[in-house]
Amino acid sequence: MRLTDVSLSNLRRRKGRMALLVAGLMIGVATVVALTAITTTMRADIASKMDQYGANILIVPEANDLTLSYGGVTVASAAFDVSELTMPDLEQIGTIKDAASVAIVAPKLLGTATVGGQSVLVAGVRFSDEIRLKQWWHVSQGMEPAAMGDALLGSRLATTLGLGPGDRVQVEGQAFQVVGVLAENGSQDDDILFIDLAAAQQAMGKPGLVSLAEVAALCDACPVEEMVDQISGVLPQARVTALRQAVQLRMDTVGQLEQFALAVSAVVVVIGALVVLTTMLGAVSERRQEIGLFRALGFRQSHVMRIVLSEAALVSVAGGLLGWLMGMGAAVVLAPRLAGVTEPVAWSPWLALAALGGALLVGLLASLYPARSAARLDPSMALRSL
Amino acid sequence: MITLEKVSKIYNGSQVPVYALRDVSLKVAEGEFVAVMGPSGSGKSTLLGVLGAMNSPSEGRVVIDGIDVYGLRAERQADFRHEYIGFVFQHLQLLPYLTAQENVQLALVIAQLTKAEKRARAREALARVGLGGKEGRLPYQLSGGEQGRVAVARAIINQPPVLLADEPTGNLDRQTGTQVLELLRELNQAGQTVIMVTHDPLAAQYAGRRVQILDGQITPSTFQGENSASPAPWASLRLGSPEATATTRSRSSAATSSSATPSKARPASRSMSPGMRR
Repeated sequence: MRLTDVSLSNLRRRKGRMALLVAGLMIGVATVVALTAITTTMRADIASKMDQYGANILIVPEANDLTLSYGGVTVASAAFDVSELTMPDLEQIGTIKDAASVAIVAPKLLGTATVGGQSVLVAGVRFSDEIRLKQWWHVSQGMEPAAMGDALLGSRLATTLGLGPGDRVQVEGQAFQVVGVLAENGSQDDDILFIDLAAAQQAMGKPGLVSLAEVAALCDACPVEEMVDQISGVLPQARVTALRQAVQLRMDTVGQLEQFALAVSAVVVVIGALVVLTTMLGAVSERRQEIGLFRALGFRQSHVMRIVLSEAALVSVAGGLLGWLMGMGAAVVLAPRLAGVTEPVAWSPWLALAALGGALLVGLLASLYPARSAARLDPSMALRSL
Repeated sequence: MITLEKVSKIYNGSQVPVYALRDVSLKVAEGEFVAVMGPSGSGKSTLLGVLGAMNSPSEGRVVIDGIDVYGLRAERQADFRHEYIGFVFQHLQLLPYLTAQENVQLALVIAQLTKAEKRARAREALARVGLGGKEGRLPYQLSGGEQGRVAVARAIINQPPVLLADEPTGNLDRQTGTQVLELLRELNQAGQTVIMVTHDPLAAQYAGRRVQILDGQITPSTFQGENSASPAPWASLRLGSPEATATTRSRSSAATSSSATPSKARPASRSMSPGMRR
């Protein structure tokens, strides 16, 4: 028989009380684990669907802009020392440290053309990347462009020009066939004529050059600012800017949810600690005579503390383990329903360790005072008659 | 040798200090069986607590085997209790959820012994008090006398030089009480120093010496009785029943066999642990 056997015997004897304590800890741990798992899954879900949220980094050629304005009204603007971006420049993005987190690079060449006697903005794009980047695009008439000579019209522009699928337009003397019209989405895309990038470069006489590139990049471990720094590093001739878009807003929401989860967890931890404290104090009070006997038999104060703390540790580990299982179960069930995530909840070993370690730490810290009280019991008073 | 030098224990009550012990001086030789007698509230249980390194005196010294008990630090006092003192409590203090063997082994939990050694010593102690074969029983499955013997086995398992018994027959019927007293006497015959607190004059007759305590003071009527090895007249009468006679016979043989192995049976001359005198 060892000290731990004494603890185990006592736990077996007080099954009801200890079961309640395990249940209390389990609910606390489960709450924290479920909140953590759900917010982590939400973050992973956003990362996996980042192309849904559009670009979050904009790359434009470095230029010195001189803007003439007064009272908030821009009178004129002039750009000088404009350097160009080339397709090989953009390929450098694939060499940055977090290149794996770059989902889409969508280059664009901008220009103007006169269509039907009206000056319009023309954007040469890689349709495959652009459609993937702008998942809110919806072709309301016709179909998505597939060939080099295909053109896609913004909805307002189509209405203004009175053009639709099957019509032909000329850009710098080169003919394109309108194959589709975008549904109105409220962005500047409603007023643009989209053609293939290579065809645009050829028509505008700017082979291999681009006006700007939009990048969709996201990873949990590297904030967008860090990605911007890395891209700036490989493209010194470009100005790289982080865009605050839907993904960022969504990430901010997750961040707020994480803060909320942290606050709830803190409250739960305090309540859990109080439950352990009161239960262990009660248990110690019930066992005054028994502890007095231990002391009379020569147990040191440290031995008595070890008995009480061993009991607390065993109960805490049980509560932590069951709480982790319950919390993960709750996260698996609730994450898709409450947070609408499609990403599966990850069974992280770190979260399991944190749940066990946290429960153990709270259990032991909350039991320190009861353990010290038990150890300091005067054996003669505890045994009353002596 | 146990020596109490002018020991006083004062409880500071709400108005006036209460003397539970007042200037008590007492010497108990190795191998003695001393009964401390007195009415309720006379201070005899306090005296036992003071002797057992559990209740520090307000004044005076307690020296056991050359060790100034209350000069030890708290943790050393615990070690001292473990090594030098065996207690038999008035209410026996058996843990209801532990078997007889586990209750006895409780005194060895902190001993530096292997699990097998602890088990073997517990079985040996139970056999010594006549409970061989009942190791696995829980306290409620044992009679009052058997429970008392488990308590004695727990007190002696660590082979302490001093056995302190606090009203060991107080909560037992006469026959069961007799069995426990017989056991204490047998242990004493084997060389064990026994100090027993009792208010029962019949129980006190088992002791070789009786000490009267009244209002916290040893009275002059302290009595040096007959040889503790001889049973008191009352005890002989009580042991006359066939059941008691059978019990006595088996115990006598146990005591004889114990005496044959003095290293196990006679723990009085224990060598002190290093550092215990500090």
